[in-house]
Amino acid sequence: MDTMTKEAIRYLGYGKHAVDDHTLALISDSFLNLGTAAGRKFIYRIFDLKQMADDKILIETAEIYSKNLRKNLKGCNKIVLFGATLGIGVDRLIRRASLTDMAKAVVLQACAAAMLEEYCDECQDNIGRELKPQGLYLRPRFSPGYGDFDIQYQAVLMQMLDCAKKIGLTMTDSFMMSPTKSVTAVIGASATKEKCHIKGCESCSKEDCAYRRDTI
Amino acid sequence: MILDRLGKELLFFDGGMGTLLQAEGLKPGELPETWNIMHADVITDIHRQYIESGSDIVLTNTFGANALKFHDETCSLQEIVRTAVIHAKTAAALAETGGREIYTALDVGPTGKLLRPMGDLDFEDAYEAFGEVMRCGAEAGADLIHIETMSDTYELKAAVLAAKENTSLPVFVTTIFDERGKLLTGADVPAVVALLEGLRVDALGINCGLGPVQMLPVFEQILQYTSLPIIVKPNAGLPKQVRGETYYDVLPREFAATMREIVSQGAAIVGGCCGTTPEHIREMTEICRGMPLKPITEKNITMVSSYGQSVCFGQGSKIIGERINPTGKKRFKQALKEHDIDYILKEGITQQDLGAHILDVNVGLPDIDETAVMVEVVEELQSVTNLPLQIDTVDAKAMEAALRIYNGKPMVNSVSGKQESMDVVFPLMQKYGGVVIGLTLDETGIPKTAEERVAVARKIIKEAKKYGIQKKDIVIDVLAMTISSEPEGAKVTLEALKKVREELGVHTVLGVSNISFGLPSRPVINSNFYTMAMLNGLSAGIINPFSEEMMKSFYAYHALMNLDSNCEKYISRYAGISSAVQDASSGASKMSLKTAIEKGLKEEAYHITSDMVKKQAPLDIINEHLIPALDYVGKGFEQGTVFLPQLLVSAETAKAAFAILKDSLAKSGEQGEKKDKVILATVKGDIHDIGKNIVKVLLENYGFDVIDMGKDVAPERITEKAKEENVQLVGLSALMTTTVVSMEETIRQLRKSVPGCQVMVGGAVLNQEYADMIGADFYGKDAMQSVYYAQRVFKGDKKEKMRLSLK
Repeated sequence: MDTMTKEAIRYLGYGKHAVDDHTLALISDSFLNLGTAAGRKFIYRIFDLKQMADDKILIETAEIYSKNLRKNLKGCNKIVLFGATLGIGVDRLIRRASLTDMAKAVVLQACAAAMLEEYCDECQDNIGRELKPQGLYLRPRFSPGYGDFDIQYQAVLMQMLDCAKKIGLTMTDSFMMSPTKSVTAVIGASATKEKCHIKGCESCSKEDCAYRRDTI
Repeated sequence: MILDRLGKELLFFDGGMGTLLQAEGLKPGELPETWNIMHADVITDIHRQYIESGSDIVLTNTFGANALKFHDETCSLQEIVRTAVIHAKTAAALAETGGREIYTALDVGPTGKLLRPMGDLDFEDAYEAFGEVMRCGAEAGADLIHIETMSDTYELKAAVLAAKENTSLPVFVTTIFDERGKLLTGADVPAVVALLEGLRVDALGINCGLGPVQMLPVFEQILQYTSLPIIVKPNAGLPKQVRGETYYDVLPREFAATMREIVSQGAAIVGGCCGTTPEHIREMTEICRGMPLKPITEKNITMVSSYGQSVCFGQGSKIIGERINPTGKKRFKQALKEHDIDYILKEGITQQDLGAHILDVNVGLPDIDETAVMVEVVEELQSVTNLPLQIDTVDAKAMEAALRIYNGKPMVNSVSGKQESMDVVFPLMQKYGGVVIGLTLDETGIPKTAEERVAVARKIIKEAKKYGIQKKDIVIDVLAMTISSEPEGAKVTLEALKKVREELGVHTVLGVSNISFGLPSRPVINSNFYTMAMLNGLSAGIINPFSEEMMKSFYAYHALMNLDSNCEKYISRYAGISSAVQDASSGASKMSLKTAIEKGLKEEAYHITSDMVKKQAPLDIINEHLIPALDYVGKGFEQGTVFLPQLLVSAETAKAAFAILKDSLAKSGEQGEKKDKVILATVKGDIHDIGKNIVKVLLENYGFDVIDMGKDVAPERITEKAKEENVQLVGLSALMTTTVVSMEETIRQLRKSVPGCQVMVGGAVLNQEYADMIGADFYGKDAMQSVYYAQRVFKGDKKEKMRLSLK
């Protein structure tokens, strides 16, 4: 079973339980549909990073206050701003399925989330490869909304990346991304290679989460 | 006047602004428009450089200057726009032009927001944001409006309408296509051309996204479809990234050479976008100036479009699905009265799945607000289907409202030869664009002969011309009269069809099934007449795609007439069909209904229930089979042995069985008590509704009457509805911390206006503590919990409720 399928199953709440054939078939069907509907796009920019006192981080003129982010970026002197989306076609596909077959809608939703994570990982690997010759190593992605990294910083990231124009990624007044299957994040880059690359899920402080990867 | 020169001689736009500003020190995230005030001299000088490099038209530095995108306390939007126009004009006065006339184009870029229903920006709010900037620009003295870098047809339409209604300036439009020739939101080239020509812009084309070479195939497509002057403004190559910095590497000479090629193929206005500099523009103008313009040819293509695709008439016959129409349909009327939009949307989706190319939308019923419902249905259909729609109404207000918010170039059903009808419909078509159906009847009624009907068609086409509506935007319906009262009816219709195509050269549509009214076994007559009509030149039949007989005629006709290459479509539809049917029915007999529901086998459940209902009373089937199955699955879900997809598959399967039992009860004419009503909504500001939809499916399964208010619903609307429907339970969903605020406000308002109404909440960010804090009565950690709570609220016996729900 490939990683994306495994992740989709986790999002569907199966935990360690075996998956029935019907759901497995829905999953593989969903990945096929998503392959056609998705218009994957990403963008990134690299900036110098200044870490100040009082949990303040400075990227060009943008100031960010976050203890968790500061910890995540400890030892980094560069920062990658990153945005990625599966495109609006995926939203339409899920909306359509919600009317005709709710089970399919739920599976599509999980598969799209898995697909987006995998795509972000791929993008990040490429960025990492590009930075390696300069002796820079990437940290795990960290998105607005993680820990005390306020969701409102999403606006700053999206503006600095010009996401709407470049990849068609916009935000509602309540900081929701549209297309919904999208990510904005920062990725620290440092001269020292970190031993452990803990990814988003395990780094979250909600340890009783039913979907948590390291407990299932 | 620029319009005097447009399309007659080659004109030059300027090049990139952002790249040059960055070189001057513009910081990432800084608003370039503020430079109109802070660094006026820099902006004026960039304009001057472009003018001296040969640009005839300069774009003001206002790309992001709209109220939705531009937020800066230090300067007002009006001031930004006003100074931007002044800088361009000042530059024109300062520059060495050699006597050339220079035009100032008010640059209008996208808002950076996505429109409803996919995003949260209202169409009219987008319109107003654009209108504000355009009024300002026109007052300041801009010579034209250039709407550019648009990647969404809906936003584009709002911008063009704003330009047309708020100013009298010429309107140029360019959109940003990718290498596949698609906009980010999915539209293809003909869809964009259809929309813009319908809205009567003065010139259209492509900018940004691609370099000149990559633009060639897209440009060639535009050439193929448009009858307007074409604008081409590429980037200096495809964007490349090194260390996260974007750069463009096509040099001025190379850029100019490709632009020369583009001009020789037929572009009327050329310029540059990201990464191009005054040097690129200089090289381009030097080798292109004076080149003759390739004459623009009139493209005689009848096409309609949606946000995502176009349908061109003429390659075979098209199917216009007629199912979204209450005429003679009890169930549809009920859906309209109960505001069951989902039912209507499903009718749309199913017709698409069955092969329709365009969907007719008629929601006219005496006791409903047709305008409001029409707008809602059109908006919602646009979020689930990419088929072009046909606005079908006799109410001019509803027609205009729908035309305004329609995302694309629609079909319109209809205008007739009556002067009164033409006086109302043609001005709307002139303003919003569209392909209108012309009915061959006038003040004297429906003519008896084919010649007379053709004469009415001729009159309609002539009158349309007065409004500048071309023949290609009219399709004629010569009307089918039932042969049970008009023995010559079919023959007259077929003859008229042929004459209209041959003598007038316009496309035709026909409501095919009228022909058999009053006769038994109508599909026999309908499908044969349909074939005859296609053979006589029917461009599009308004038919019922659910009718297999009609679809057989359709596929057979196209295969027979070599309109279906290698009979591909015919084969994919009809090969192996008999064996599949056999499989389904043989599998059904071995299984119990309970097993079918537990396993989520919809087809089987359908067949088994159909069999059972012949022998058993519907209520017994429910009590002995359906309820135990649902209970079993529900319990399994609680215990963690059944998971969400399985729970929902079983729910959908039970639904299929319920539908059969409902039909059976309806036929027996039994009346039941009313179901308990529950309102469900995703709160204001929140556009995620999957959780709410899961709860809905399950509540419906357990016999509740769910009033689904959708997503992003204002507290006032929920409260009002709760009061009006006198509901005892409201379920609210929110995904994010930022929208829980709206949830809290909704609860506060509900408490005040509808005391006694219970509120249950759910969603990713919620937990019991949070739910208590905002004053909810219940927190549902999963969908089943919401069902159990609803049952407790109404204190009814579950089985009893399900029994009642069927009545």
